[in-house]
Amino acid sequence: GARLRLEAALSFLLLLAGAQALVPSHRLAAGDLARLRAVLERPFTDVRAAYYSIVGLNSLGVRVADEKAACKFIKSHVDSSSVESLFYAAKSIQVLSGCEVTISNETRELLLAAVSEDSSVTQIFHAVGALSGFGLPLASQEALSALTARLSKEESVLATIQALETASYLSQQADLSSIVEEIEDLVARLDDLGGVYLQFEEGIETTALFVAAAYKLSDHVGTEPAIKEDQVIQLMNAIFSKKNFETLSEAFSVARAAASLSQNRFHLPIIVVPDGAAAVSHHQPVLRLQVTNVMSQVLTQVSVKLDQAKSVSSKATVLQQLPFTLSGDFFELNFMNVKPASGYYDFSISVDGDKRFIANKVELKVKVSTEVGITNVDLSTVDKDQSIAPKTTRVAYPAKAKGSFTADSHQNFALSFQLIDVNSGAELIPHQTFVRLHNQKTGQEVVFVAEPDSKNVYKFELDTSERKTEFDSASGTYTLYLIIGDATLENPILWNVADVVITFPEEDAPSTVQSKNLFVPKPEIQHLFREPEKRPPTVVSNTFTALVLSPLLLLLILWIKIGANISNFNFAPSTIVFHMGHAAMLGLMYVYWTQLNMFQTLKYLAILGGITFLAGNRMLAQKAVKR
Amino acid sequence: YGGGTAGRLKALDAFLLYVLLTGALQFGYCLGVGTFPFNSFLSGFISAVGSFILGVCLRIQINPQNKGEFQGISPERAFADFLFANTILHLVVINFVG
Repeated sequence: GARLRLEAALSFLLLLAGAQALVPSHRLAAGDLARLRAVLERPFTDVRAAYYSIVGLNSLGVRVADEKAACKFIKSHVDSSSVESLFYAAKSIQVLSGCEVTISNETRELLLAAVSEDSSVTQIFHAVGALSGFGLPLASQEALSALTARLSKEESVLATIQALETASYLSQQADLSSIVEEIEDLVARLDDLGGVYLQFEEGIETTALFVAAAYKLSDHVGTEPAIKEDQVIQLMNAIFSKKNFETLSEAFSVARAAASLSQNRFHLPIIVVPDGAAAVSHHQPVLRLQVTNVMSQVLTQVSVKLDQAKSVSSKATVLQQLPFTLSGDFFELNFMNVKPASGYYDFSISVDGDKRFIANKVELKVKVSTEVGITNVDLSTVDKDQSIAPKTTRVAYPAKAKGSFTADSHQNFALSFQLIDVNSGAELIPHQTFVRLHNQKTGQEVVFVAEPDSKNVYKFELDTSERKTEFDSASGTYTLYLIIGDATLENPILWNVADVVITFPEEDAPSTVQSKNLFVPKPEIQHLFREPEKRPPTVVSNTFTALVLSPLLLLLILWIKIGANISNFNFAPSTIVFHMGHAAMLGLMYVYWTQLNMFQTLKYLAILGGITFLAGNRMLAQKAVKR
Repeated sequence: YGGGTAGRLKALDAFLLYVLLTGALQFGYCLGVGTFPFNSFLSGFISAVGSFILGVCLRIQINPQNKGEFQGISPERAFADFLFANTILHLVVINFVG
């Protein structure tokens, strides 16, 4: 009862988790490995370059070409007074076989002195690494306390990563847990890019060095690193997304990360690679897969199982719980045994064999192809009036129908056919079912789509009155082709079925069909400039100007006759100011017409108007008083 | 008319006649010769019409016979208003004449 429900809930949650699991998108394929090797195999320029090359190639499982020469190079180029140089030399010598070196007491003292709180984390890292590489004794507890003290002062990501690697050289008896905790802190500092990549903002090189150091330390201490499965895959995606390695140090870091992800005690990401495209058909019924690690090394000591195969279109489960069989380097499964219908299938595959496997549940889209056959092909001419029974001719693929068919104003042309899967006999509905009519004389072609009806019988009917626009009403003999195609068909079909003589009603036929050439220069447009309006001759304008001024004359005469007197003019200052101001305002109007703009005019008008108003006010008041 | 109207009013009437004639002539020109330039015609015509209207307003206001209706407005005040309104009208007219 309750227990069963709990199990059901748990399995449902697991299913959900599995369904959303991240899948690796990048790995070191063969080409990438070759490029990596090429960069690492460059001739050495100094001890540091030698270290990167030798240790990097060793991570890829490749030995240096000439080990004796390499050994000599290191011995001659090492700088015994530099801790860093000694580190590079020590690590390289450790990898090369048959390379011995004796360390003087001074060098040893130098290295031991460097392991102190006063040195930087990098110096401690180099010193401890050199001591361990040369096989010299080292006080782990002191080194650890110096490292911890130093780490609390230096917060950079690189320093922490170096601390991780330093700790991996110390004795297991020392309590390295505080350093191990740094792994979790570093993971928190990674940037998540779109849920697919996880990397430090310092770059891919730092991220790769982190992965190498984290797993080295975890293997040394024996505790699983605090990195979740999805995070490991995201780290993988980020590190192996870089396909070009500009610097030696970059190549070195990627090589070391690849090595650590393919051989460590806790997490092994695996990749399922289909052989070629994931497609099966009658001719090739076997689906072949390869299981590799991040360095594209094939794993065969695993078991590959198909959890289920579901059809994408019908969502029906076609196959369940079937193991793949190992054949050489490949895992095989004969999918055609279950006689699947053509189309796409979602395969859920799981790889087991080691508890360390990560990303061992993959989804693969597999295509099943088949061959199509056309049957029951009937060509007929159907009389529009329905007075004559339709004449039907049956044609078999790939033959061409004898004689030609007519389509004109009295009769329509009809075509019907069925498409079946040759291997299973089931009806098929491919994506492309076209009927192409090609005019033999003019080169025109018109393509129609043939649609299936409810019984999956394809029908096409040509009615000349309905379709004349597509044909541009060009009558003539047309060759009829049937085009069948689909992604899942191995035999696309282009079949010349018959000849059809199409006659369009005469009144619409153009004399020649003009090919629509779009890329010919068009006729030039002449720009019509705006013509100025017609003006009257100057004589007329001048006459009217004089005419318009004549009423003014009349006004003056009238005023004199009426006896408008200016004798009451008194020369009080306000009167004079008023009249002057008013005259100035009128003058301003003239100046405005000829020169000024509105703003300037308003400014002057305000001044003049103010004066005139005040004077006028005074003047009129006096007048009023007098009255 | 000659006897009953004050001299002031007669002078004003003469002015109004002048403005009317000017406006009519402008309109006649436009009908006869064409509307180019249209903005100038409009400006001149509106000046004539506007001045006529303001003149008529002034005449009504200073006519002693209408004194009852314009209690608060003295003839001087009417004249001042006339001048002010004319200033604004002609500002716009000059702006528009081009």
